[in-house]
Amino acid sequence: MKKIAILILLFWVSAVLLGRAFGLHGNHIDLNAILATPGIQHWLGADDLGRDILARILTGVQVSFAVAIIVTLVTMITGVLIGLIAGFYGGKVDRILMQITDVFLAFPGILLAIAFAAVLGPGLINLMIALSITGWVSYARLTRGQALGLRNHQHVLAAESLGATVPRIIFRHILPLLASILMVEATYSLASVMIAEASLSFLGLGIQAPDASWGAMLRDGVRYMLVAPHYVLIVGLSLMSLILAINLGGDYLRDKLDVRTEK
Amino acid sequence: MFKRLFSFATVIFGVLLLTFLLIHLVPGDPVEVMLGESASTADRMALREDLGLNQPVIQQFGTYLSKLSHGDFGQSIHTKTPITEMIRMRYPATLKLAVLSLLIGLCVGIPLGIYAALKANRWQDLLVTLVSVRLSAMPAFWLGPMLMLIFAVWLGWLPVSGMESGASIILPALTLGFGLSAILTRMTRTSLLEVLNDDYIRTARAKGLAERTVILRHALRAALLPIITIVGLQMGSLLAGTVITETIFSWDGIGRLLVESIEKRDYPVTQACVLVVALSYVLVNLVTDMLYRFVDPRVKFAA
Repeated sequence: MKKIAILILLFWVSAVLLGRAFGLHGNHIDLNAILATPGIQHWLGADDLGRDILARILTGVQVSFAVAIIVTLVTMITGVLIGLIAGFYGGKVDRILMQITDVFLAFPGILLAIAFAAVLGPGLINLMIALSITGWVSYARLTRGQALGLRNHQHVLAAESLGATVPRIIFRHILPLLASILMVEATYSLASVMIAEASLSFLGLGIQAPDASWGAMLRDGVRYMLVAPHYVLIVGLSLMSLILAINLGGDYLRDKLDVRTEK
Repeated sequence: MFKRLFSFATVIFGVLLLTFLLIHLVPGDPVEVMLGESASTADRMALREDLGLNQPVIQQFGTYLSKLSHGDFGQSIHTKTPITEMIRMRYPATLKLAVLSLLIGLCVGIPLGIYAALKANRWQDLLVTLVSVRLSAMPAFWLGPMLMLIFAVWLGWLPVSGMESGASIILPALTLGFGLSAILTRMTRTSLLEVLNDDYIRTARAKGLAERTVILRHALRAALLPIITIVGLQMGSLLAGTVITETIFSWDGIGRLLVESIEKRDYPVTQACVLVVALSYVLVNLVTDMLYRFVDPRVKFAA
């Protein structure tokens, strides 16, 4: 399983690098190839504007990976900070912060991200803002639970009685113990941010034309499904392989680091 | 118990506040964004007046709450239809879809979970687990088009989209029910395996009861408890999934209304849809919570 994941990821990385090396450009229009099926000219066929599907998949995955990494970093840092503060101080601070996360959790799935993206307007930056505003909650919950448990460990109490400052205790004595759990969580959240980004782009709220994105390509693929079924199939299979690989990677990390979290 | 209700009340208040604030997050002037730059000053003034945007924010929130308490969501800025009316028209379709998906999830997930548990660690179990773990990670906007491609385009068994025939609901319901059934399969398997080692199961077997009775009457009853919670929690992703699924299959429910309103920049409608879906979810969770405490006497209300 681990090998499959590595192979898939290696395949995507080398495909992107090769694409760049050969100067594949996702916005080049070939009017003779509109909705062409896979062939020598266009290996994976062409879309409704005669653009090469392979080139667009390879440019799309770069944007979507960049979005996933940035959003994961932003949400992790905010979420972890909030969780650490709630878990360390406990009491009223904890109650208020957790009440706020409860409100965010009351919006099912990506509904809140859809709402934010809708009012902020479409576009890459707004997409990342919408995903960040809604994504920190799970990190805050996870970190808070762990920090609450570690709060009364002897090494924390010892550091406290030696007069260590609060930031020092939090960052030197509590945070390092959470590193492996957070790493596993971050891997899974890479996959879920990619899915969320693609969902929003699918709805037309994310990455805007003419930039390539897998979500928007799937939507176009659905539109032309009757005349060019290969379009939606190729994008669908690409998406599946990548999500599968990232999740397999997450499972591997979880077993390797022996992290038990409740999802 | 009361603590529980109180916490639900604060969550509902928070949801109301957050949805109310949505319109204030629009960059620039929301009235201009909604009407476009070519709108006349008189139109803008009228809409601003209509939405109460010229009042202080606190007062706006008060008006918003008092209108909501009368079931008044305001009106669409384009068609001037009362939003309550629009939601009443669309909500049943979403409900129908969600209930059918839930049924699919239960009818597929639980038997499959039992099967996997009975064949624990044999190839049948490994296959079921592998498929349910891996495919449940796939989003609705992936599964929907794939099902559409296979069953509507290639095999031609089912309508591609729309709501004309009775069979139209099958593909969207499968899209939504699939993830749920995968999760239920895993849950049923795990919790059944846990219960199967208990003493009372050994007693039941020692009494000479048929294996079928032992599993269905004794083991499954206890094993089903955690499943109630999972179903409640999963209703959330089901409800959120309707937004995408309804868009894919042109299903005229509340999710599609939401997407349409976003495209038309009809923010009062967007706001109302988000609120209705979120409140449905909160309500489902409250009911699940109650049900769980009711079904399982071991869970104390005070806990």
